[in-house]
Amino acid sequence: MEVSVIGCSQAKIGKTELAYRELGCFDPKGVSKAFSAKSRVCFSPSTRWRKAGIRFTLRAVQSEAVRSEKVAASSRISRSRDGVRLFVGLPLDSVSDCNTVNHARAIAAGLKALKLLGVEGVELPVWWGIVEKEAMGKYEWSGYLALAKMVQDAGLKLHVSLSFHASKRPKIPLPEWVSRIGESNPNIFFTDRAGQHYKECLSLAVDDLPVLDGRTPIQVYHEFCESFKSSFSPFMGSTLTGISMGLGPDGELRYPSHHMLTKSKQIPGVGEFQCYDKNMLGILKQHAEATGNPLWGLGGPHDVPTYDQSPNSNNFFRDNGGSWDSLYGDFFLSWYSNQLISHGNLLLSLAASTFSESAATVCGKIPLMHSWYKTRSHPSELTAGYYNTTTRDGYEVVAEMFARNSCKMILPGMDLSDEHQSRASLSSPELLLADIKKACRKHGVEVCGQNSSASMAPGGFQQIKKNLLGENIVDLFSYQRMGAYFFSPEHFPSFTQFVRSLNQPELHSDDLPEEEEETAHSLNVSSEASVHMQAV
Amino acid sequence: MSTVSMEPLLYRSVRESVRYAPISRTFKPSSWSCSTNHKLVFHARSFCNFRSSNVHALRASTTTDTDIFETLESTDVFFKETFPLKRKETVEGKIFIRLDQGQNNGNWQLTVGCNLPGKWILHWGISRAEDGGSEWDQPPDEMRPGGSIPIKDYAIETPLKKSLSSEGDALHEVKINLIPKSAIAAINFVLKDEETGAWYQHRGRDFKVPVADYLLDDGNLVAAKRSFRVWPGALGPLSNLLIKAEVSRANGSESSNESREAEQKSRSLEGFYEEQPIAKQVAFDNSVTVSVRKCPETAKNLLYVETDLPGDVFIHWGVCRDDAKTWEIPDAPHPPETVSFRDKALQTRLQPKEKGDGCSGLFTIEEGLQGFLFVLKLDKGTWLKCMENDFYIPLSRSSSLLAKSRQDLPESAQIPEKNAKAKDPESAQIPEKNAKAKDPESAQIPEKNAKANEEASLSAFTNGIINDIRSLVTDISSEKTRKNKSKEAQESILQEIEKLAAEAYRIFRSSIPTFTEEAVVEFEKKPKSPVKISSGTGTGFEILCQGFNWESHKSGKWYLELKKRASELASIGFTVIWLPPPTESISPEGYMPRDLYNLNSRYGNVDELKEIVKIFHEVGIKTLGDTVLNHRCAHYQNHNGIWNIYGGLLNWDDRAVVADDPHFQGRGNKSSGDNFHAAPNIDHSQDFVRKDLREWLRWLRKEIGYDGWRLDFVRGFWGGYVKDYLEASEPFFAVGEYWDSLNYTYGEMDHNQDGHRQRIIDWINATNGTAGAFDVTTKGILHSALERCEYWRLSDHKGKPPGVVGWWPSRAVTFIENHDTGSTQGHWRFPGGKEMQGYAYILTHPGTPTVFYDHIFSHYRSEIAALISLRNRNEIHCRSTVQITKAERDVYAAIVDEKVAVKIGPGHYEPPSGSQRWSLAVEGKDYKVWETSQ
Repeated sequence: MEVSVIGCSQAKIGKTELAYRELGCFDPKGVSKAFSAKSRVCFSPSTRWRKAGIRFTLRAVQSEAVRSEKVAASSRISRSRDGVRLFVGLPLDSVSDCNTVNHARAIAAGLKALKLLGVEGVELPVWWGIVEKEAMGKYEWSGYLALAKMVQDAGLKLHVSLSFHASKRPKIPLPEWVSRIGESNPNIFFTDRAGQHYKECLSLAVDDLPVLDGRTPIQVYHEFCESFKSSFSPFMGSTLTGISMGLGPDGELRYPSHHMLTKSKQIPGVGEFQCYDKNMLGILKQHAEATGNPLWGLGGPHDVPTYDQSPNSNNFFRDNGGSWDSLYGDFFLSWYSNQLISHGNLLLSLAASTFSESAATVCGKIPLMHSWYKTRSHPSELTAGYYNTTTRDGYEVVAEMFARNSCKMILPGMDLSDEHQSRASLSSPELLLADIKKACRKHGVEVCGQNSSASMAPGGFQQIKKNLLGENIVDLFSYQRMGAYFFSPEHFPSFTQFVRSLNQPELHSDDLPEEEEETAHSLNVSSEASVHMQAV
Repeated sequence: MSTVSMEPLLYRSVRESVRYAPISRTFKPSSWSCSTNHKLVFHARSFCNFRSSNVHALRASTTTDTDIFETLESTDVFFKETFPLKRKETVEGKIFIRLDQGQNNGNWQLTVGCNLPGKWILHWGISRAEDGGSEWDQPPDEMRPGGSIPIKDYAIETPLKKSLSSEGDALHEVKINLIPKSAIAAINFVLKDEETGAWYQHRGRDFKVPVADYLLDDGNLVAAKRSFRVWPGALGPLSNLLIKAEVSRANGSESSNESREAEQKSRSLEGFYEEQPIAKQVAFDNSVTVSVRKCPETAKNLLYVETDLPGDVFIHWGVCRDDAKTWEIPDAPHPPETVSFRDKALQTRLQPKEKGDGCSGLFTIEEGLQGFLFVLKLDKGTWLKCMENDFYIPLSRSSSLLAKSRQDLPESAQIPEKNAKAKDPESAQIPEKNAKAKDPESAQIPEKNAKANEEASLSAFTNGIINDIRSLVTDISSEKTRKNKSKEAQESILQEIEKLAAEAYRIFRSSIPTFTEEAVVEFEKKPKSPVKISSGTGTGFEILCQGFNWESHKSGKWYLELKKRASELASIGFTVIWLPPPTESISPEGYMPRDLYNLNSRYGNVDELKEIVKIFHEVGIKTLGDTVLNHRCAHYQNHNGIWNIYGGLLNWDDRAVVADDPHFQGRGNKSSGDNFHAAPNIDHSQDFVRKDLREWLRWLRKEIGYDGWRLDFVRGFWGGYVKDYLEASEPFFAVGEYWDSLNYTYGEMDHNQDGHRQRIIDWINATNGTAGAFDVTTKGILHSALERCEYWRLSDHKGKPPGVVGWWPSRAVTFIENHDTGSTQGHWRFPGGKEMQGYAYILTHPGTPTVFYDHIFSHYRSEIAALISLRNRNEIHCRSTVQITKAERDVYAAIVDEKVAVKIGPGHYEPPSGSQRWSLAVEGKDYKVWETSQ
């Protein structure tokens, strides 16, 4: 953005402190004053202003009427001129199952540190199993509201992840009443070929079935979102700027195809298809009959490897002559991935309509199934529900679905680089990421980046930087995740370094003393250098 | 913990205040020029929304700073800086209690004092004679020393006053005059340190000084109990006095003990004096001053380090050539008492100053080096660093010029100083985790509100900082811009971020080790606090394995069989193994010994015994010999046909046998304990017996290599003799079997087993703590709790564990089964199927846990191993603190050392989700154990 830099409201300065009078700022759109009055957040004037600046860009990207209205409501904060707004994830268990804020003091100190560091906001996972723990329709938001207040007080933005799944570590289960239903009716869960249930989230096959005491999961999710919206209305659009909709296992739009992997294994296996719960099989059968191949609807492919195995250990994923490349393969894989995409569409359109008024961006997360990418069949993506092979682009349709719902796409794995992947896994996070980004660019879907691993992958920060600074499709990065390791001496200094280098790429030149005389140095550079300070 | 994280800003504060010249702060309506300071405008804008409140934060620097600055200017010292050194140290001291006749005409006076610094408060009350001496009550007004404050209606708080002891040491004490007519049965008190909020008690309970005889002996008297042995006539005179004054109150029912006491009373007319050791974390503030001077003749740098740290101070130092601050050893010559430390640094002992505390050192550094790096080490292995980094002293002129150029800045806010202000109370507020009683004997109760304070001050502090930073930027922007300034601002902000991050880090991983342990130096493994080994506790981290059962003798080659298990036992995590009784014995199991020097038993011969001890030593397991000292079977009959004449090396006659067991017609003295009726009980009061036994134990130690003892049937003789034997044989660990029946009422076990555990405690006390004792009480209570689903039994009325482990954890050797209670004898078998609950309890709780052989090699093995490794991993030790969080009908739960949570029983429990993050570590039937992550 070519705009000049000094965006501070003269009027406000006059009001607040005499001392700032000589700062000589100007108010670009006359909006600062209006906002500053109601907002305790330090930087609202400037951010508002920057929003205004980007409006055109967004319009260009989002052509749909409903969306542009939202943009006009200035819900979006554009990226600052040097690229990326940085968010940091709060601990997964920030709110305990009895709705108190866990390690509140640590989080308070952490929020201040992030604020000083120039981080834009934080991401907060909101768990179904905590909010609607006891009974359907009985919501308890107090813990999350308290946390949102803390975030607001710290002057940070908030991005909420509505999580309709469970977490193993830390242990955050599904709502008790859902688990109870699951006990008696395990068919609400994803099921693999061996009949093992994945009990961390509901199967997408029951989306529209009244399995939850007479209500469908979609209805339950919808009511949850409505309750969230009304409870968080005071924060909506001001502090709360983003909502990501939980779409499946770990919140990602995918099948839990890799949940039985043994962690210790160096090379991840291909995973397994998860279409063996009663309802999925029913749908498959119908579909097969409708397409005139009833025999194809009796189950999933019979010649697939098991979770831990490599693609070549059975016939289905073989590079040459594997059944994936057959008519049957195409039948099954299309069906399998279409189920996933229509599930995603269902949830994202639900979220988009629920939050359409609320001036917060809606996002959904997709996985980065990068192992075996260098094979022809991309088995890991196939089992996860992405029909993306060397002969078929599977992300186009996903990106199109996101675009249709005007949702941002959250992409993890921005810290992964090819060179650090095990050779034998034939993995390529970078190429896959490029694929997905390409599809997003094509459909005008904005991407919000995330790193994948809890502890930073080797060279992770450089890789993130590369991903963020290189192109302009990623305007927001959500760094995972605050906790003991995050603030540890091993990690935090490098994170600080990372943030500073993101925000002020020319800082080091600033360090050189001879530059002191360079008063005519361009406005842009000095402003860039100050972005960091500004955030402080 | 926090001490280190505090350093950065403290450190800065000193630097900064020297650096800036004082100028009163005014805002000049400066002509703001676009060309110079866009950046700063930007800063200012970003800060402009912080509400300003304290303009006073921007003070001119003090004149002293200026003085320093000027003196520095005038000399050739081009660098001088004083770094504050804060450290915490555990100091040991004592609480003393003295009862004597004051100067004022024979009134009795109770003096309570403490020789550690602190803000000591005596929290006390009296119990009146009428109500049996158990309740707290406020003393009559005339007894209350000046400055006393009543607490509710049951206690008084009196501050201790500073005074000097006869030796001239500073101490704090308070004197209470006793009024003879006031019918006071006892004075109860605890000592409180207002600085740390810690309470000091007597063995986990109130101190109790009885001042009248008719007090019920509840086992917690400070002096009365032991007075007839250790402190003759402890309370005698006073009691007599009171008895005379109030004859009507005298109570006829005196126990034999009391009558013995009374005898002593008449002999001595002095008060008593008792001391109790305590430990406390005390913060010390010292500083180190470094000045650098150019030697005009040699062009070398002379660096002078001076500190007021007491004791031996070592400086680890090196030099560096560039900004990377890589340590290098400079060329010789080095100062005296310098040694090279692993080729990476030099270690020099600083020379004590001529007068006063502290020491100093002078270092000559070659030209051309960039900086001088050092850390300080105290004699106790404490490392002192500068904001978690090495101290760094720039050596080249250029860098100092840079520093000076900064000093020329015409105006600056004295923000860092403010920071320091804000910080000082803060650092004082943060209670060290370690301030918790190191020694459970002096259990301290950390005050709840200390935490609240900490929280409040934290937020106040950070808000202050933010204001300060804002002001700083304001200042800068209102002035002509200098690049340096923005850098200063950035630096201080970065430091603030660092500090906040450190704070967050500290809380997130709440089990972080303390300052001393954290100060890991790259060239030395982290200094572990020296482990104090005592025969009562071993290292304190012992886990025992009973290495046999009642059947082990049957094969005749147990030693050979057990030998094969050695490495397995070591890998499970055992540190001590209890081997079966080694001597020749009438009964095959070995508990009816005859010839003590014949170590060929049914378990194997003497060589196999030596071999197994050696093998256990090889795998790092200490060995305990099972010694039977209470009785010894005779070789021959006397002329009456009674078996009481001994053969072998110790050919005692019937004088070695106690006189009060008619079966054996001993001619010794009466037994000092209970009799074991199946064999002649040895009379330990005979000198020759004791001498022989001492020698025998020493021989076993030397000849066999035993590390310690399991002492059989110690009920049979006075614990004082055990002390004698242990002092002679100097075992690494010793545990006595003091097994008597628990207290029952109408066939139902009493909830309160204080009497039972008191008997065990008394025995340990008699050994002077040189031995631990099996915690029979805990086993008994576990029986009832588990068998009848009465888990509430596992908390005593004070909310502590109800067994010996609740009162004297370091000496409690917990177990759930042994060769007598279980195995094929089954005299008192642990509730079947619930053994793991028992182990979940003892392996997570303080005390020294013992695992029975039969249980290790059963299907419980993996669960037991998991619990042991959890115990080791979390460094639970015999003095760990236990906080009972639930004791209800069907569930008992406790948190140990704030890092392990355990529940037993079928009921539900989840550890509280507070600042700690719990993860389930071990789980089994009706028990769960969690540990804090990280």
